[in-house]
Amino acid sequence: MTRSRVRSWLDFDSPTPFVKQLPTAIFFLLAAVTVVVAPESFVANELAMALGMGFVAIATVLAGYFTWRSMMSGWVLVVPVIDFLAIGFLRVGTGTNNSAFAALIILPIVWLAAEQGRRFIVFSALGAVVTLLLPIGFDWHLLFDPQFMVRGLVTPVVFAVAAAVINELARQWQRRVDVADEEAAERARLLQESVEHAARIAESEAQLRELERMFRGLWGAVTEQSVIGTDRTGLIDAWNPGATKMLGFTDADTEGIRRIDEFHLADELESRSRELNFPPGETVLNPGFSALVEPARLGNADVREWTYVGADGRILPVDIAVTARRNEAGETIGYLFVANDLTKIKEISRLKDEFVGLISHELRTPLSSILGYLELLRDEAETTLTASQLHYLSVAERNANRLLRLVGDLLFTAQVDSGMFHVDQTEQHLDAIVRSAVESARPVASAAGIALTAEIADGALIRGDAVRIGQACDNLISNAIKFTPKGGAVTVWLEVDGDDAVVSVSDTGMGIASAELDKLFSRFFRASSATRNAVPGVGLGLVITKAIVTAHGGELDVSSTEGVGTCFTMRFPLASDEASRMSSV
Amino acid sequence: MGGLNPRAQSPLRVVAADDDDDIRALVAIAVERAGLNLVASVADGNAAWDVIQETLPELAILDVSMPGKSGLDLCRLIRSDPRLSHTLILLLSASVTEWSQQSGFEVGANEYLMKPFSPRDLAARLSDIAAGAENSS
Repeated sequence: MTRSRVRSWLDFDSPTPFVKQLPTAIFFLLAAVTVVVAPESFVANELAMALGMGFVAIATVLAGYFTWRSMMSGWVLVVPVIDFLAIGFLRVGTGTNNSAFAALIILPIVWLAAEQGRRFIVFSALGAVVTLLLPIGFDWHLLFDPQFMVRGLVTPVVFAVAAAVINELARQWQRRVDVADEEAAERARLLQESVEHAARIAESEAQLRELERMFRGLWGAVTEQSVIGTDRTGLIDAWNPGATKMLGFTDADTEGIRRIDEFHLADELESRSRELNFPPGETVLNPGFSALVEPARLGNADVREWTYVGADGRILPVDIAVTARRNEAGETIGYLFVANDLTKIKEISRLKDEFVGLISHELRTPLSSILGYLELLRDEAETTLTASQLHYLSVAERNANRLLRLVGDLLFTAQVDSGMFHVDQTEQHLDAIVRSAVESARPVASAAGIALTAEIADGALIRGDAVRIGQACDNLISNAIKFTPKGGAVTVWLEVDGDDAVVSVSDTGMGIASAELDKLFSRFFRASSATRNAVPGVGLGLVITKAIVTAHGGELDVSSTEGVGTCFTMRFPLASDEASRMSSV
Repeated sequence: MGGLNPRAQSPLRVVAADDDDDIRALVAIAVERAGLNLVASVADGNAAWDVIQETLPELAILDVSMPGKSGLDLCRLIRSDPRLSHTLILLLSASVTEWSQQSGFEVGANEYLMKPFSPRDLAARLSDIAAGAENSS
């Protein structure tokens, strides 16, 4: 048996059956020793003595057994019950009324009385009665012994009173233990809760730190955009590295010191303020700042071009997105200004415009001379030139004109790209434009052996530029002729479909592969059928046509089957319809 | 051909300005065909302004983009000078952008011709101008 096992058997804080049985067993052992030392003076009845020893042995073994098996059920109470019998027999064995061991009866009584429940008071009293009246079993004359009977009936009452006191004390003690247990459990629960709470706080702190690290990283990484935060009056409280790069001041120079409007052109703020009719907004004292944040203050997204003025007076064109910063309650607590530097974009756009102008001048000027002098040559020498010389002249003229058209097309696409192409809104008779385009294509079509037919409805009135619309029609018709083999047909329709005028140009040509249809309107794209059949062109015609149609508020569509033919459709909104729409508004 | 005006007592005096020699020569031929009198042909805007102030011509044929003063600058100067109130202006331009045509008329040009131009057309246009000037005088 290990030491801990012994300790658990002899646990006095919560006594085991074995511990409770131990005093009884010890006293029986003392009784046995006395009997052995002086049998004559103690032993009155050997049989009762032996039965008493036997029962106590059984009770002790049982107590040991229950302890060993850690059984704490009601069966454990068998042990004190047997003890009553054992004590009863010991009393008889040691001379009933003269016995020195009658007092042992208190041990099982205490055991039972300490159990939870008032019934155990009765059980204790009954046990005492049985024990004290047991001698009658050996000598029935005792029934008539008044001293014996009085003792046998009165003593249990005394014991019952003692048992009641013990029972009550035990009950109170138990209640106190229960309360203490509950308090202990509550304390343990609270402790556990606070431990968990602390763990949760530690976790959110870690998350917060992680977020902050991420935010710091992000904030530092934005170097190409300036991000400036202000309070509601415009005083700067956040200044990112992008702002430092753009404006030349650091966060230390600005945060809590400078105002956002110090970095704006005063004239620009003032004129914007006038535009908005001097909104009182955030501050009457600073209408410039109020104008700057007015849309954001009203909860609208606002991206606008402004001019920043940096350190050393540098001027930067920027677009600034202004947004309101809000607290948890949704109240505006300040503003954020995220700005992109537009210097490079403006420069590129300027260079492009410059390039357009330069090309316009530098290419068209020599072409002017070539064409002009070729014309003079033709005018002055028509009579002296031979037929073949005249032919050479016309080849030179044709190619110079082709070059001129190409330059014109290139410039036109550049104009469209830079947004410089605007159509005027004059009313135009589309039928006349289409008819003239068809007529001017007739010589080319008949030379190519292609039947050119037209079905043109009258009265389609649209708004736009007659020259450009004519150019679009010319492009589609000449394309159709170019891509149609000899003996084929090209048909041009003009019809009115609802609110639109629709011009269709269809051919019986080589067609376009379906995979190439969506690339058809990209600059310099040439269909594989065009290159395969050596059809001349650079891939600008459809780009220009589409740009013209789009600029007129129309749509250009194409459908094609390879080897069968192609049909291009231009839709233009009718002028009358537009006018009626406008008047109805 | 030529549009020569036999009734003209004294042909209109013309100043031409263009920085391209060949175009200038082409203009000279057209002026000659129209029967007008080319008093000066210069290659930049400053020289053009000098010679215009000096000769007070009836017609100025000006390239829009030239070194020194542009054709548009010259238009403004001519229109703000009372001595030149009779001077007609024909602008030549290689620019394809619409705004230049508009701004040409805004600054007071009477005619506007895009490059490349046909010498035949220019001569006809000049004859018309000459006829118009004669009728109004």
